Amino acid sequence: MKKALSLLMALILVMGVLAACGPKRETGESKPEDTKKKTEEAAKPDKLVVWVNNEDKQKQALQDIFAKYTEKTGIKVEAVPMDMLDQVKTLALDGPAGKGPDLFFQPHDRIGSIVLQGLADPVDLGDAKGDYIDTAVDAVTYDGKVWGAPLVVETYGTFYNKDLVDKAPETMDELMEIAKNQTDASKDKYGFLMEAANFYFSYPFFAANGGYVFKKDNGSYDVNDIGLNNDGAKKGGELIGSWFKNGYIPVEVNPDIMNGLFTKGNTAVVITGPWNIPTYKDALGDKLGTATLPKIDGKIPQSFVGVKSWMLSSYSKNKEWATDLMKFVTNQENSLHYFEVAGEMPANKAALEDDKVTSDQLIAAFAEQVKYGEPMPSAPEMQQVWEPINNALAFIAKGQPVGDVLDEAVKAIKDNIAASK
Amino acid sequence: MSTYSEGKKKGHNPTLAMILSILLAGLGQLYNRRFIKGIIFIILEVSFILTLGNFINYGLWGIRTLGTIPMVDHSIFLIIYGLVSIIILAFAITIYIYNVIDARKQAFKIQRGEKIPNIREAIRNTWDKGFPYIFVTPGLIMLLFIVVLPILFTVTLAFTNYNLYNSPPRKLLNWVGFDNFHKLVTIDVWKDTFFHVFAWTIVWTVVATTLQIALGLFLALLVNDPRIKFKRLIRTVLILPWAVPAFVTILIFAAMFNDKFGSINRDILSMFHLSIPWLQDPFWTKVALIMIQTWLGFPFVFALFTGVLQSISKDWYEAADVDGGSRWQKFKFITMPHIFYATAPLLIMQYAGNFNNFNIIYLFNQGGPAVRGQNGAGGTDILISWVYNLTFNINQYNMAAAVSIILGIIVCLFAFFQFRRTRSFKEEGNI
Repeated sequence: MKKALSLLMALILVMGVLAACGPKRETGESKPEDTKKKTEEAAKPDKLVVWVNNEDKQKQALQDIFAKYTEKTGIKVEAVPMDMLDQVKTLALDGPAGKGPDLFFQPHDRIGSIVLQGLADPVDLGDAKGDYIDTAVDAVTYDGKVWGAPLVVETYGTFYNKDLVDKAPETMDELMEIAKNQTDASKDKYGFLMEAANFYFSYPFFAANGGYVFKKDNGSYDVNDIGLNNDGAKKGGELIGSWFKNGYIPVEVNPDIMNGLFTKGNTAVVITGPWNIPTYKDALGDKLGTATLPKIDGKIPQSFVGVKSWMLSSYSKNKEWATDLMKFVTNQENSLHYFEVAGEMPANKAALEDDKVTSDQLIAAFAEQVKYGEPMPSAPEMQQVWEPINNALAFIAKGQPVGDVLDEAVKAIKDNIAASK
Repeated sequence: MSTYSEGKKKGHNPTLAMILSILLAGLGQLYNRRFIKGIIFIILEVSFILTLGNFINYGLWGIRTLGTIPMVDHSIFLIIYGLVSIIILAFAITIYIYNVIDARKQAFKIQRGEKIPNIREAIRNTWDKGFPYIFVTPGLIMLLFIVVLPILFTVTLAFTNYNLYNSPPRKLLNWVGFDNFHKLVTIDVWKDTFFHVFAWTIVWTVVATTLQIALGLFLALLVNDPRIKFKRLIRTVLILPWAVPAFVTILIFAAMFNDKFGSINRDILSMFHLSIPWLQDPFWTKVALIMIQTWLGFPFVFALFTGVLQSISKDWYEAADVDGGSRWQKFKFITMPHIFYATAPLLIMQYAGNFNNFNIIYLFNQGGPAVRGQNGAGGTDILISWVYNLTFNINQYNMAAAVSIILGIIVCLFAFFQFRRTRSFKEEGNI
């Protein structure tokens, strides 16, 4: 009898589940958001909430800028510190719950996946669009729309030790000469080191010969056209492979080892990013010099440029004013202030060309290199690229045939993109 | 029976009571003339429907459809509402079934003419019988929401198409049934990696754990030998690897094993003119990982066994000596059974722990080195580090959830086995 009873109950439950019907609401044309937008267009909010990267100097710089904004408009700005890389997943939960920010801060290569998740709204930069350097605007453009106001640009370049070389190597041939003359692995002496098996740093050598990640036209990427195993890419791969084959760069190099050898004065030239300047300067002092990447075929190769920008949460209720705030933070005066306090290169054109940036010998080289750089692809498919191509570089470092390895990598990337959809 | 015949109510119908209770909780009780109980049931049902009815309706609709309008419906939230609704509903149904059964039982009692307890007696009965349940209930409810809900959530994700290209709030999720599991074993990209990683996970678990137990046992026996001096010092030294946080140890080992710059090749093996590619060759990376895990894991086993060894009575060995038992026989028939009966559950959990030992794999070499022709996981990735990769590097939440379920099932098998061993320990421990 008990069994029959519970069976009956189960039946009632199932009927209940089937009968459960959704909330009544209007579908189609008049989405709730649209009406919201219209009514709240120009209303001035009491405060704006901004998620800032949790780093002391950056917080301090932004605190000053936000204070100025409050003075100017009377809108309070609440800065919530949160690690940049945690912001997206927190927003995915907090946004719908109404606890999200108006603005958040992200590196541009995540824009594609943020857009796919529907977390950000396109930004109308208006006249201010021309104030940023082209690479930066390019970087925050995805699918033909602009998704952020760029604050910071970042790329890598050449560091050299003035005790070991008189001047920075201007061409690849000069660099190879240095590597040939100064490398003595048994004594831990190296002419030239870089994380050559990391695609982020190796990209210029592919690009200089005609390699590319995704074909780009009209601000969008064709992810089916991958240029990492074309002739140019293979030529770049051969070049990188030759460094390992000739023993210029050991297979086992990693950032710790590279930094250790360079700061000890055992390495003449390294290719890495400006985030290493403080450490290097402490160790080498005036002996430290920086320059753009050495020329290949008479041209400075394209390095990957990273752009950090303010993005507009799609859950923000004050989009107009939030956009105004992000333009304010990234204007010439404020992004210069940010550079002075936080030490990150401004994406604002006038600020990047300002004396304060160009007179800093070490930074100037990177500001120059940015002009030749190319933004990392922001297509979400980029996520599927890193691992196969880095693996391919690791195989190249071990002396495997470059052509085969790159073909395999491209096939893996295509497989991964197909499998992930 | 005849004593009750006076109060017997022929007209009282248990089926009617049952049907009334099914229609509305408490009606049957009213029919049974148990007014207070009936009213309590009615209040419970009505208030349940009034306060939670909408929520449950919404929740069930949500988990069935996963939303209909993108950007308005958030599938992930709908899944959670749905799961909460189901849990609440399960409680409600339990009480409802109790209500119906109760109505029927009481009706039978009335039909037989049994004496109805008055209110005070009823309350006392409930208190006496239900005391433990009354106190366990709040904890049980907490447990459901803190432990069971997240597990259910992971399980449900494995049956959706939740990945980067299909993430809420912009897109709605869909139920895809066993598609993800099917993909895992049929589509080449997933299949090759999955089986490769799975095979190494098993080898890693068995070899690394067995070695650490063997080494722990060997050292425990050695140190416990009465002829050994400075026992305390030796024990302290042997416990040391346990004292340093594994996190730190592994990172230091990773530096020491560096093929060119690490001290192992440079200072130790160079004496023998050897240089082993510890981080570049998958085989040697595996060897290094197993050695490190043995080093990290044996102190615990050593401490465990030392403790048990102390507790074996000397009489056993004396008796064995009298019977002329050899050293091996003493070990095999006295020491071994004692040690393993006492520690089997913990040793099994050592295996389970290593099966999911994310730290060492990830910190040592990020699952590397890469293997040509193998896509998505490095040469030493175990299932759990692969899941990490799937979740955080390529946002394949659904596949990660599917692999997690498989992992969960395997660890459950370990746990199940452990409980079995625990019982055997209870019954046979007093050899």
